[in-house]
Amino acid sequence: MSGPTEIGDLAARRALAIADHVPGMLVTPDSRAALAASVGEAAARGATIVPLGLGAHRGIGQAPERYDVALSTRALARVVDYAPADMTVTVESGVTLAALETLLAAEGQWLPLLAPWPSRTTIGGLVAADLSGLLRGGQGRVRDYVIGVAMVTAQGREVRAGGRVVKNVAGYDLMKLMIGSLGTLAVVTEVTMKVRPRPETTRVIAFACGEREGGLRLAVHLANLDEVALAVVLLTGPDHDEPALCCILGGVAADVTTTRARVLREMREEATTLLCDEPADGAVAGALVAEARDLARAAAGEIVVRAATLRTRGAALASDLLAELAASSALFDPRAGVVTVAVVTADPAGAIARAQAIAARHEATLTFERWPDALAQTIEVWSPLPASLPLMRRIKEALDPARTLAPGRFVGRL
Amino acid sequence: MCSNARGARRADYCGNVARMSIRGALDPSRRERLRRELVAVVGADAVLAEQADLRVYECDGYTIERSVPSLVVLPATTEQVARVVRAAATLEVPFVPRGAGTGLSGGCLSDEAPLVICTSRMRRIRSIDLPNLRVVAEAGVVNASVSRAVRDAGVHYVPDPSSQSACTIGGNVAENSGGPHTLKYGVTTNHVLGVELVLADGEVVALGGASEDVAGYDLTGLVCGSEGTFGIVTAATLRLAPVPEAVTTMLAVFETVADATATVSRIIACGIVPAALEMMDRTIVQAVEAAFRFGFPTDAGAVLIIELDGPAAGLRELAARVEAVCGEGGARSVRIAADENERAALWKSRKRAFGAVGRLAPNYCTQDGVVPRTRLPEILARIEQAGARHDLRIGNVFHAGDGNIHPIILFDERDRAQTARVLEAGREILRACVELGGSVTGEHGIGVEKIEELGLTFGADDLELMRRVRAAFDPQGRANPGKIFPTAAGCVERRAPRRQAAL
Repeated sequence: MSGPTEIGDLAARRALAIADHVPGMLVTPDSRAALAASVGEAAARGATIVPLGLGAHRGIGQAPERYDVALSTRALARVVDYAPADMTVTVESGVTLAALETLLAAEGQWLPLLAPWPSRTTIGGLVAADLSGLLRGGQGRVRDYVIGVAMVTAQGREVRAGGRVVKNVAGYDLMKLMIGSLGTLAVVTEVTMKVRPRPETTRVIAFACGEREGGLRLAVHLANLDEVALAVVLLTGPDHDEPALCCILGGVAADVTTTRARVLREMREEATTLLCDEPADGAVAGALVAEARDLARAAAGEIVVRAATLRTRGAALASDLLAELAASSALFDPRAGVVTVAVVTADPAGAIARAQAIAARHEATLTFERWPDALAQTIEVWSPLPASLPLMRRIKEALDPARTLAPGRFVGRL
Repeated sequence: MCSNARGARRADYCGNVARMSIRGALDPSRRERLRRELVAVVGADAVLAEQADLRVYECDGYTIERSVPSLVVLPATTEQVARVVRAAATLEVPFVPRGAGTGLSGGCLSDEAPLVICTSRMRRIRSIDLPNLRVVAEAGVVNASVSRAVRDAGVHYVPDPSSQSACTIGGNVAENSGGPHTLKYGVTTNHVLGVELVLADGEVVALGGASEDVAGYDLTGLVCGSEGTFGIVTAATLRLAPVPEAVTTMLAVFETVADATATVSRIIACGIVPAALEMMDRTIVQAVEAAFRFGFPTDAGAVLIIELDGPAAGLRELAARVEAVCGEGGARSVRIAADENERAALWKSRKRAFGAVGRLAPNYCTQDGVVPRTRLPEILARIEQAGARHDLRIGNVFHAGDGNIHPIILFDERDRAQTARVLEAGREILRACVELGGSVTGEHGIGVEKIEELGLTFGADDLELMRRVRAAFDPQGRANPGKIFPTAAGCVERRAPRRQAAL
């Protein structure tokens, strides 16, 4: 195999285990060519590969059928091109989100996603796991920012799609196919993204909302704020006696001032207590944003599940999930119609079944993000399965006929 | 895109128009069999088989290549589309999906598929869900009518290509259409949440949906921009957005193109993302002024149309900043549209600029390329050099904020030598776009026009992967064959005529 390998380092391999599958080999190629060679060699000898960055999000997805090689992109960590005035950046897929955010911040720009665990998340992982973040309700998702990609096919060839310009319809948009595909179609080696100017003024305003239903109602009310409201979320957890309603505002000073005044005025008329009113880099604000951002990964609990529905049904969905699962932590985004809950429970199988029943009631889609290893073989990570699953299977067969890449990991165990 | 009202044919240039029509035609018995089956599905009034009727469908907005289809069918429902496609599949007849025919790269040319399936009777908006900001529109719904249907609620469908009063949602999805307001808000794919697609075997599949977290591969995103090569989009779930609270539209006048393009980068560099940032050079300004009498200064080197939108409170300050940046960049004047009427007049001038150019020369060709926006001064210089080298007059009207250029090359097709130089200049400009880190098409698509140019940015392995994806949708290659990729049958003999793609 090309690149440094750590075949014998059991600890390193165990650290990348998925359920009870410990990979037989860990490969960390330090160039795109070496990565392509690694894939080609593994494919030639019939080995299966699970592509990873740092492995922080490997819990997402069904357990692999086989897991011979852990192929990490962590050594592919070069910034290929960054032209601030073009508002585009191209990085290798092993660059961490934290490193990218630092790079962009130095030029007054950012990637407005606020995806979880920036220092443990690679850009390849952001794409492969579709880690749409805290700002998805207001600023869009990973799919709205990726404009070009280089990837290694299951046959070990490096190919490209898209480019480095913000508007481009030359050839198919294979970027979309990579986003959220969990490495089942190709290994992403390089990503080009659109970036945005950082808001010149930010403000985080948060309120303790008494009880849950009141908090949900106020979250829905504030969902109609204009574009200055980068995020409106309701946060619950062991550190909060009452649900916390958080608004992240960003934009021109005059707009932030106007919206802040409106939010403060309206919330004063409600039974709320002000928790935070400071710029996003303030101590309290920063802690709140980090908590909300990382919740799906960092919150305690045996089960973490995300449910999505239409925004008009979001509050009812969230109410039932929080109540019936006795959620220990939760994050509700009223604009996206998405709620993530973490559940501390002695009966995880029961919690899973209840979540599925609630989702069915609200016509919501469900994505489990965490579950005990004992349930790894039986859990249906996604529900309902999409009507177009047969078409997705044909795409998997067309791109990876030998099932080299993350076999069994994806929706429908593709 | 080319204007050649006198009917320039590829035969004029290369003499093999006959071959094209042979490949596309059905033999009379199969044609009659298919016609009867189509009539059984949609009724006689929805099947066109007479030459005079068929000729309307011989090309789209890219008129340099034409091919009269054998049959045109106008289904009114998804179920009819599925049955039409099944009938065609049974007889092994390839088909071309078509909306309003406003495409600019020959995406609905029927030269390799004798059956045109036109969605113009599928004009129903199936549902409007204002609280959830969703609309489900059938493929034949005209772009502008979506926003019109929800206007009273203070929301709109954001993508607004210049042809929005005619072009259809199905065509917008197929081409992943852009428009002036993509700079801040993105292109079609950013506003489409789901599509209903009839595959080439007649199966109807629903991709994506109204919720944002539908499990599986993002096939909706993949279908956007696939140019009808995966099947026919029969409906789409669209995201609506609130109309911004306030809008400020400015006209900044510059002595030179270089000053104007440098100012584009300065505006972006100071952290402002306008809703739209468009440029017109002197050639275009003069034509537009002659046509619409907006009051453009016809002696200016270039003008920028800059539109800011958002909450009212901050807009005045942003406008002042943009005005200052324009001043530092050498603007002679900055005029702010006084009211909605003046704003509408300004946009009308911009969106109809192509039509106004018809006054300047018997024929014109519009190229569509992209460069990183900081390279605009270089590409504009390269365009000027290409014009000088080939003794051609070239005007520029384009989406400057996106780096999406649209040089318009003026010519007279009766002058064969000049026409050849037009082709060469177009090729040079696209090559320059790629050299500067850009793309050969920003919003018009590959179609038949740029099949060769696709190879400037993608290699054999890249195209092979795309072909594999296509085959997963359409293994027999019956949905819009001969587009995007060179086909085994066509690539050799096509080489000469396809060079006119540059037009």
